[in-house]
Amino acid sequence: MAVSKCRRLSGGALRELLDSVESVLFDCDGVIWRGDQAIPGAADVVNRLKKHGKRVFFLTNNSTKTRGMYADKLRRLGFDAAEDDVFGTAFCSAAFLKSEAKLEGKVYLIGSAAMQQELRSVGIEQVGVGPDPVSGAQADWAGVPLDPEVRAVLVGFDEHFSYMKLNKALQYLRNPDCLFVGTNTDTRLPLEDGKAIPGTGCLLKAVETAAQRQAVVVGKPSKFMFECVAGRYGLDPAKTLMVGDRLDTDILLGSNCGLKTLLTLTGVSTVADAEAHQRSGCDVRLGMVPDYFVESVAELLPALQG
Amino acid sequence: MAGAVSSRGCQKIRGSQIRDLIDSKHSVLFDCDGVIWNGEKVVAGATEVVSLLKRRGKNVFFVTNNCTRPREKYVQKFSRLGFADVAQEEIFSSAYCSALYLRDVAKVQEGKVFVIGGDGVYEELRDAGVPFVEGDVDDSGMTIVDCPLEADVKAVLVGYDDKLSFLKLAKACCYLQNGECLFLATDPDPWHLLREGRVTPGSGSLTAALETATGRKATVIGKPSRFMFECIASQFGVDPAQSLMVGDRLETDILFGANCGMETLLTLTGVSTLQEAQGYKDSDAPDKKDYVPDYVVDSIADFLPLLEDDD
Repeated sequence: MAVSKCRRLSGGALRELLDSVESVLFDCDGVIWRGDQAIPGAADVVNRLKKHGKRVFFLTNNSTKTRGMYADKLRRLGFDAAEDDVFGTAFCSAAFLKSEAKLEGKVYLIGSAAMQQELRSVGIEQVGVGPDPVSGAQADWAGVPLDPEVRAVLVGFDEHFSYMKLNKALQYLRNPDCLFVGTNTDTRLPLEDGKAIPGTGCLLKAVETAAQRQAVVVGKPSKFMFECVAGRYGLDPAKTLMVGDRLDTDILLGSNCGLKTLLTLTGVSTVADAEAHQRSGCDVRLGMVPDYFVESVAELLPALQG
Repeated sequence: MAGAVSSRGCQKIRGSQIRDLIDSKHSVLFDCDGVIWNGEKVVAGATEVVSLLKRRGKNVFFVTNNCTRPREKYVQKFSRLGFADVAQEEIFSSAYCSALYLRDVAKVQEGKVFVIGGDGVYEELRDAGVPFVEGDVDDSGMTIVDCPLEADVKAVLVGYDDKLSFLKLAKACCYLQNGECLFLATDPDPWHLLREGRVTPGSGSLTAALETATGRKATVIGKPSRFMFECIASQFGVDPAQSLMVGDRLETDILFGANCGMETLLTLTGVSTLQEAQGYKDSDAPDKKDYVPDYVVDSIADFLPLLEDDD
């Protein structure tokens, strides 16, 4: 069935789309905020959607905050949101290890204090968080003592990333029974002030290359992020809208899960990017073409005034 | 290509076959780790093999991706392990060749190189007169947002660095935002074999991180890239057709040999196994053929009987 895609959303089509969905999933960076600044109109849109009886959730690949921290930020920026509405990769990777992988044992963690907290919340202990520089001669630390209870290596964003951590991850991963999970593959992490630094994707790549193994990735576009929400709230994919700014994570997740997809142009991807994917004829790239696009989520407001 | 025969045999050789092979060559290039030594332990017979080859009038070179030492430390290691008279000129390491590349090919004279690496690289750059940014400054407490960046960085060189930090990666990324800034890697090895079967992350894993963060591909100096052979050839006039590459790692040493037009000999005292070599030989993919060694020995000590006989 040839469906025309990548259409500018407004007027009747906008109202029809909103009427056809029960739930709306928003990415955060570049969609509802940029750094510490809300996108103008975004809070209004989210709050009105809720008043109109739509369920609203937030899906982010960022692993540096707990659900609680995200809820605080959302409320601070004027969004009517609760902890349970937020799905970040710190939370989702802990959920993955607990419920999907049914992990028994500890995690060697390359990641943030937030990830440590989310793991603790589901009863999983970790080792490794925090600074860990190399000391001693090579022969010593290549044979570092390993914690025999570690059964998984989890890699997320870590400002304390070091050769020693890369080394320890490699040592654990030499055991083929040790699980290998990554929060996301984004190559850049946006900061609060809007600048960007190397992202989890590059740290994960270092570990994958050294260990010659591929991690299971929890974050978008992996379906797990959607399944995490859908499983808890019984979402119908056909009645769910994914709103994002990245074609290769947000939109692709939407396509992979059978959701309707809306690209907003306040972040990374452009309409030209989407059209290039559309022309490519390649199946994977076609999954990155959104159903609709808007300049900013504020364009949803006219349909929510009533 | 039904019926096509692999041009490389993966043939186990001994005795007179080895003699014929050596007789047909002017030069023998040895990888080091896993070929002539493993850590601080010399491969039995290696010192005699090197001496005997030289006495038979062969040029002997050592070509290593290991960038952790400057060449003068390699000379000391050779001596310490019992190799008589190995001269610095015969040693080609990825650190040394990276310095040559920056000095002679990239011509980084005004401007600096930002290094993710260790003493081996710093010393070679110093010796070659290539200015660099000291990577190991005390940046504690700083983040990428407030740490100072140098103004005239013309190249980023990444190699094995056990003092790697997130800040170093972030700085390298900033420099590499400039498309004019060169992106070099000492070698592509994802991990290195230490003694007793232990492994340690290699330069290749650090390079992969930087490539992912920047969306750029590094120019690799070390094996299997041809550049190290070009350094040898330009200094000593070596003809690849009359040279033999002896190594233990199919993806670097053997592929390097094939890329440079040399015959290759795999020794089984290091990383790769005969099974892996057979796997490449049996593979249908045409590009895998270059990973197949021409010849295989259990150890370079297998050279000894033939070399000793003729004395």
